[in-house]
Amino acid sequence: MQNNGNAAEATGKELIFSVLRHQETARVPWVPFAGVHAGKLTGYTGREVLTDGDKLFESLMAVNKLYAPDGQPVVFDLQVEAEILGCNMLWADAAPPSVASHPLAGDLLVPSHLPQKSEGRLPMILDVMRRMKSAVGENTALYGLITGPFTLASHLRGTDIFLDMVDHEDYLNELLRYCREVARCMADYYIEAGMDIIALVDPLVSQISPRHFKRFLAEHFSGLFDDIRSRGVFSSFFVCGDATKNIEVMCQTNPDCIAIDENIDMAAAKAITDRYNIAISGNIPLTTRMLLGSQQDNMKYVIDLMDSVSHHNLIISPGCDMPYDVPVENAIGVMQAVREPDQTRQLLENYHATEINIEVELPDYASLKKPLIEVFTIDSETCAACGYMYSAARRIAEELPGKVDVIEYKITKPENVARVKKHGIKNLPCIFVNGELKFSSIIPSNRELMEIVQKLL
Amino acid sequence: MDPIVQEIYQSIVDGDQKACAAGVQKALDQNIEPQVILNEAMIASMSEVGRLFEEGEYFVPELLVSARAMQAGMNLLKPLLVQADIRSAGKVVAGTVQGDLHDIGKNLVCMMLEGAAFEIIDLGSDVKPEKFIEAVQSTGANIVAMSALLTTTMPNMKTTIEAFKAAGLRDRVKIMVGGAPLTQQYANEIGADGYAPDANRAVALAKSLLAK
Repeated sequence: MQNNGNAAEATGKELIFSVLRHQETARVPWVPFAGVHAGKLTGYTGREVLTDGDKLFESLMAVNKLYAPDGQPVVFDLQVEAEILGCNMLWADAAPPSVASHPLAGDLLVPSHLPQKSEGRLPMILDVMRRMKSAVGENTALYGLITGPFTLASHLRGTDIFLDMVDHEDYLNELLRYCREVARCMADYYIEAGMDIIALVDPLVSQISPRHFKRFLAEHFSGLFDDIRSRGVFSSFFVCGDATKNIEVMCQTNPDCIAIDENIDMAAAKAITDRYNIAISGNIPLTTRMLLGSQQDNMKYVIDLMDSVSHHNLIISPGCDMPYDVPVENAIGVMQAVREPDQTRQLLENYHATEINIEVELPDYASLKKPLIEVFTIDSETCAACGYMYSAARRIAEELPGKVDVIEYKITKPENVARVKKHGIKNLPCIFVNGELKFSSIIPSNRELMEIVQKLL
Repeated sequence: MDPIVQEIYQSIVDGDQKACAAGVQKALDQNIEPQVILNEAMIASMSEVGRLFEEGEYFVPELLVSARAMQAGMNLLKPLLVQADIRSAGKVVAGTVQGDLHDIGKNLVCMMLEGAAFEIIDLGSDVKPEKFIEAVQSTGANIVAMSALLTTTMPNMKTTIEAFKAAGLRDRVKIMVGGAPLTQQYANEIGADGYAPDANRAVALAKSLLAK
């Protein structure tokens, strides 16, 4: 099940590569930007996954297993470089750190020190990149994320950076040239560690005009994308916020892909990126859908999104770094909608049918002769997480032959939707044991499920 | 409009602080009423700047230089407005919520509100609920403006609102919220009085909250 194992199909990595080469693909690929959120899958805090290599690796592997991504970032933290260059960090448990001090605030200085592989969290990050490359790199395209020069300059200088555009143009140019060198240096390290795609993440670009972008930034981005291309890997330009007016000038810097969030209309932006034959990635809303919406809301958003744009040059991804607490089932819903849009469309139709005239009878749970594990799935054959959930139950049946019943209900069938509704199930996949909800979205370990079943024998 | 008032207006839209200060001095020398300068040059020009921002003509740097230009003029005007007992449009306590250091948006809101003649008590970033409460108690502010950029810190808006309730002050202030991850729906859920998606609409919101 892991990530496109079927040899007859293109691997997820091949799909992403094809999109970034602007070729047609059999389906649209998906890239979950699971940064701190990866820790939610393994029970670690955001801080733990951003500072402890083993925990990060374990969490990224959980992302790879559960969300079956075609591509995934190894670390999503725009403070890595800033920390090395002397900014103080304010750490939080469920979010990346924030920059708490700006070493160049008040002084028109340009540093010269470039990050070394031995500094800050780089040894840990480079090690995890290598481990991910070796573990899943054959089938999954790996993203190395670098802080873009403008956002890095703002970390160093603080909000004075905006006034520098008016008051100290020459200084700003020098500072940005330095930040570009930092980015180039980081790209070198990440490419060496096996990253397939280098993403320059520069959220602050949405806060300046196209005129200022061309005046101060275009040259640096173009140069960096050229450097990355010359190293034989792909590039992506991530922006956050309403950068609608800058999409055109961003395209002119010639990245292989542009990644946008929900503040930008995907169809309108894609009309521009298509003119430049640049791929676009986005833009599932992080808060309203992924964090606070239901599984069905997320599926519907993806289906509507995919119906609104051509599938050429398209990657489906969250708008930016997923909040830590995104319910796992929401990301699973997104994955399923991207991978199986027709089935999802049918499923949503079933789900939203005002009346399903199907009477289902639930088992008489009080008088079962042996424990009953009911696995409710989207479809264990096409949804990775559902497959793992079903396998977890099957394994128990195999270890306790004849002593436990296991049944899967796929909601691709209307009668099973009726059953799901009768149980009041909100999220899939999930496991009921003897009529009680025991596991939702997170796959139980063999031991966890066995303990529950054995108490009922 | 008087040509000198027009000059001040234009200097602010263009973000020219020297021209703005010189223009205000010239207007005062010509005995133009401070309130006329305030309304027809300062407030009107910042309203235009806000419109340009909302429409995507102006971005953060343009907004900052315009606000700075206005400030240069206000430094000359303020003592005279106080002397003439010209009241502010309202008193606003502003800050980013506890745990959140991202203050660009909050700063822009403060500047725009100031440009609309509100008095601002800016508590900065990472502001604890009790700090908001203390500020309202000590200043008599009638609006609290809170900002959050992170999904992990936005629940602290609710905590702050609850703290106002516990302190028995909730009915004394209008609470407005904003920040990238927020929505009107979220604002409703946490019991805020209003939500604005950008700095310009925050001004309209503040005015409408006080008109209620």
